[in-house]
Amino acid sequence: MKAQILAGALLGSLALLPAAVSARPLPKNARQTSDSGKSGNSGSSAKEKLPFPNVPRITAEEVEKLIKAKGDVVIVDTDDSMSYGAEHIKDAVNIAYDPTVDVSNEDQTLQVLPGNKLIVFYCNCPHEEDSAPMVQEMWQLGYAHNQVKALQGGLTRWEQLGYPLAGTDLPKGTQEKGE
Amino acid sequence: MSRWAKQIETQVGIPTVCVAMDNIVHYAVTYIREYYTGMPLRFVAVPFPFTGQPKSVDVGYVTGKDMLNGGPLMAGVVSALTSPLTANEKISGAPANESVEPRLLPPDTEDNLRALFDAKEWSDYNWINLPTEKKVMAMLRGTSHKPDEIIKTVTITGGARPLSVEKVAISAVMAGASPEHFPVILALATQAPFGNSTSSMANMVVINGPIGKKLNFNSGTNAMGPYNRSNAVVGRAFTILSKTAGDLRNGINAWESLGSNFQYNNILYAENEDNLPDGWKPLHTQMGFNPDDNVVTVGTGWTSISSVGGSQELYPVHYLMRDYMRSLTASGSAATIVMDPTVAGLLQNAHGFKTKEQLSEWFSQNAEKTAGNYWGNGVIQSMVVPLALQGLEPYASWRKVPNETMIKPFTNSRAIHIVVTGGKIQTTWFVTDFGMRRGVKIDDWA
Repeated sequence: MKAQILAGALLGSLALLPAAVSARPLPKNARQTSDSGKSGNSGSSAKEKLPFPNVPRITAEEVEKLIKAKGDVVIVDTDDSMSYGAEHIKDAVNIAYDPTVDVSNEDQTLQVLPGNKLIVFYCNCPHEEDSAPMVQEMWQLGYAHNQVKALQGGLTRWEQLGYPLAGTDLPKGTQEKGE
Repeated sequence: MSRWAKQIETQVGIPTVCVAMDNIVHYAVTYIREYYTGMPLRFVAVPFPFTGQPKSVDVGYVTGKDMLNGGPLMAGVVSALTSPLTANEKISGAPANESVEPRLLPPDTEDNLRALFDAKEWSDYNWINLPTEKKVMAMLRGTSHKPDEIIKTVTITGGARPLSVEKVAISAVMAGASPEHFPVILALATQAPFGNSTSSMANMVVINGPIGKKLNFNSGTNAMGPYNRSNAVVGRAFTILSKTAGDLRNGINAWESLGSNFQYNNILYAENEDNLPDGWKPLHTQMGFNPDDNVVTVGTGWTSISSVGGSQELYPVHYLMRDYMRSLTASGSAATIVMDPTVAGLLQNAHGFKTKEQLSEWFSQNAEKTAGNYWGNGVIQSMVVPLALQGLEPYASWRKVPNETMIKPFTNSRAIHIVVTGGKIQTTWFVTDFGMRRGVKIDDWA
């Protein structure tokens, strides 16, 4: 006998699928957006809504001071490994943010970061679009809110201020660290 | 690998060939190509395993046969890099869409519908409640949230799925849950899907707050055993939810070599808050929640080691726990020690640990292992070595010491969690490597 009660009433759990096939991974656009922001600190107008407003920012100037004072700070570059290899803040480590992958997939790597130092995430994007989600994920992992911050203006701002960089794209003789 | 290959080809313009292991290369060629990169990539394959082998074996792989296409491996590499694109490889644009499942399945017999659910891998292969519209609507009455509300977008291989309240209700029905469980399951859904790795990754779920008693979650005798309905059905719902929302299918994109029996129930239990020693806070209040908040916390890990017998005076219990911790990877300093209230009382009264935090700090300072043991683990190799090579301390320094040097790998005491549960029958405990994420407030999903 056909299950009439179920007729037309069974909710297929893979009604999930339509979304799965329509939403293809988006290409990472952080590079493009960052280019548009090279003219200023962040390229934003005062009226423009800041993404991830609950994520605390730290200025490049403040980070530079901490580094010079040998403060306990770890800097994390969230760009892909190729971009990191080409150019990054001197002494930064690389944990890439990939918008096509759930950031929780990075948990095992993120938890390697020390629990007793200030951790600053940065991206090559104008409004911390890639670094701020990493900050939020660190909170999920139990890191204190005031211990993890996003670098305001990211790599662009750092570069504008002439602070130390490293990477293979830098002119020969200026590479701070071999990649 | 496919992502990097695509990146090199598209951004740098260099022809690329992927060298994959033969255990996974067909997945790479088909599924990734169709649903992930959206671009045909060329592959050759070597035998598995690759890591952990003597160099002579790896050299043999390079000089040997291409396990995907036949013929010598290096000839395959050269051919992949130099031969013109085939007609199939010239096809551009997004791949054809996967077939779309309807929201409502057509009527059929119960047996056929059960067979369909099994064939689609929509269950854990235990007996499920078929999710009729009536049952799902009843489940939805367990929350004030609307059925079409999107809880999160689950990133899956090759795409993203909006996870709605209604879809979670389907899993809750299938698992045998009742509407009063639904807010807990919705809170769990924010953490879905569960871990999926090539090793035996699993989850641990801890319930805190008054809801533990209200819904009769077990935090007493057999808290972690099959003796309680709430523990059973809510834990199971997370499995079914993870498999369906996460599109996890055996051998297609779920690749755990051994798998994990923990994944049937996700080690769900409640903390025994009534029997915590004075000064020992429940897990959720350690995370900043109020004692009256109802919270579910999800951890991810692999390993659980039982004390087997009760604690003895000859060797303090925390010494034994520390010794067991040497067997854990210490990835991200993660550990969760689950102990009976009698053990917690012993640790406070006999050994002076006034708080959980003091005990966690003691473990961080005293759990040691050799550098060789630490670096010899595959997870550490893949997660920590790249950062060590970039100069992150203390890992960069640990890379330079002899293998037999003792290190203290649990550098972050806040990642060492203590949870008290059990029936005060025996002074037993588990040492596990589960790393707990921040808890989720269940009340937000009522």
